[in-house]
Amino acid sequence: MTPTSLADTGARPSVEELEDRAFELREKLLHLCGTYEGAVHIGGDLSAADIFTVLFQYGMNVDPTDIANPERDRFVLSKGHAAVCMYIAMAIRGFFSYDGIVDTYGQLDSAYGMHPCKVQLPGVEASTGSLGHGLPIAVGMAMSARGRGEDHRVFCLLGDGETGEGSVWEAVMAARSNKLGNLVAFVDRNRQLMTSFAEERVMFEPYPDKWRAFGWNVIELDGHDMSQLVAAIDALPAPDSDVPTVIVAETVKGKGVDFMERNLAWHAGSLGAADLERALAALNASRDKETV
Amino acid sequence: MPVTFTFGEMLSARSVIGSTLAELGDDYPNLYVLTPDIGATLVEFRDKFPERFIDVGLAEQACVGISAGLAYDGNIPVVSGMLPFLSMRALEQIRTDVCYPNLPVKIIGTHGGLVGNGGSTHYAVEDLTLMGALTNMTVTSIGDPAMVGEVLRQSMTMTGPIYIRLAVGKKDKVLYEPGEHEVRIGKGIVAREGTDATIFTHGTTVAQALDAADELAKDGRSVRVVDMWTLKPIDAELVLRSAAETGGRFVVLEDHLAYGGLATRIADVVTDNGVCLTAFERLGIPQVYAGFGEDEQLRDKHGYGLADTVAALRRVIAAS
Repeated sequence: MTPTSLADTGARPSVEELEDRAFELREKLLHLCGTYEGAVHIGGDLSAADIFTVLFQYGMNVDPTDIANPERDRFVLSKGHAAVCMYIAMAIRGFFSYDGIVDTYGQLDSAYGMHPCKVQLPGVEASTGSLGHGLPIAVGMAMSARGRGEDHRVFCLLGDGETGEGSVWEAVMAARSNKLGNLVAFVDRNRQLMTSFAEERVMFEPYPDKWRAFGWNVIELDGHDMSQLVAAIDALPAPDSDVPTVIVAETVKGKGVDFMERNLAWHAGSLGAADLERALAALNASRDKETV
Repeated sequence: MPVTFTFGEMLSARSVIGSTLAELGDDYPNLYVLTPDIGATLVEFRDKFPERFIDVGLAEQACVGISAGLAYDGNIPVVSGMLPFLSMRALEQIRTDVCYPNLPVKIIGTHGGLVGNGGSTHYAVEDLTLMGALTNMTVTSIGDPAMVGEVLRQSMTMTGPIYIRLAVGKKDKVLYEPGEHEVRIGKGIVAREGTDATIFTHGTTVAQALDAADELAKDGRSVRVVDMWTLKPIDAELVLRSAAETGGRFVVLEDHLAYGGLATRIADVVTDNGVCLTAFERLGIPQVYAGFGEDEQLRDKHGYGLADTVAALRRVIAAS
């Protein structure tokens, strides 16, 4: 049985509906960040929220009621510190209950922690967290799909900072060398490392050209523009094509909460009740501004 | 297919790897073989199953990460290469991508110990410490080239990862007649019975331990030789039985740093079980970068050659 495709069931949301779900994702992220006292990687969660939304609510062929279906699309979270954003995006799609996440996050014996563990949380495709590991794993999954003659895709989300890891470029070469057109990488290009703005410390530019030079199909877009994200998903090359695709999504760390945006202090943190209200108000204000 | 070489003959462990994998590829349609540019051993598999042979070039980290991705999807990956690089450059990938989710990846390779005259960049002498530290990892070191095929075969049904250490693997002495000993992962092999002392060893130094036991036999001494080819999980029962049956006199010989490898594991078994030994000596590489030279010369230089082994056995037997 083919996993439930949102496209096939006619349930594929519109751009406006996806924007609503991205807002819901950010709201839920902030709630968790407001109730959990430990560190939440809220900056990089918010920068990737629209990408997670387009993947889990629109682009990926996955079925929350049949998580092991061999024909499902795979998702590897290379920037493992965005685990909580993935958990909530999956909850919105119906994999888990949001209450289960927010009530137990980071606690003893919870399946939901700072970095994803497949053993503890079936439905997650790979245990990640150490940066630079996800793309090689995704390459292996894409090779496996090819070996089985299956045409599902393997998606991988990386942070731009983690592409400083050499293992990423080993995998970039392996993917192109093995003609893995069924592999789609997203780079959440928020241009911030943990302790610095990226280009202050590491020269990433000309960033998309680096992927191009390795032979990948490169799509550049605004990672907060849902219509561009949808268009990129719709225009992906066929899974049986030869060239892997990278979507370099320009994003803003902390996107949607003015006092977190492009603020090094909000790589990770906890809001507390008072700041939660302030953050939610900022999120609402940001949405109102964009819809005007 | 059992290999038909017999005791004392020379056999290439690499050719056993190649022929065994080519054979297993038929039985296991989900068997993949990956290598970071050390593929000469694997030609038979490559030619027979090109779509399941992956040479990533010089990229050990991606090689192991890709193997994890394949294993997540229900495949059985074998990563073959030179162990100094697989065990260290890709250590974190082995730990995080393979051992953490307990995937059935087999890491098999050459250049365990001071072999091949490559210098310290090319000697895997810390690898058993590193691999032994990883949760879920089974750690082996094989001296008998004919055993390699059997171990690979057995490993196919394992749910978790395994590390298989060989010497250079081009020319190794067959230590056992085929079928002479039961080969079972997790169980040591009593290569020679004895009552005066036990020498525990693994991999390339098993042959030397047997030679040392022969020397002692000339003095009328009876030395048990245990090929403890599975270092983790260790055959604790055999260690304890040997303590009881050979007067608590142990020598541990290994082509690895003297601390952190088999000797350390045996000391753990002994102390955890409250056994008081009569004498315990460890022979291996001291904390030095060993330099160049032939295998045998290096062992002599660093205090764990044949003469040192014979002397150590004499000392533990003389201990009261």
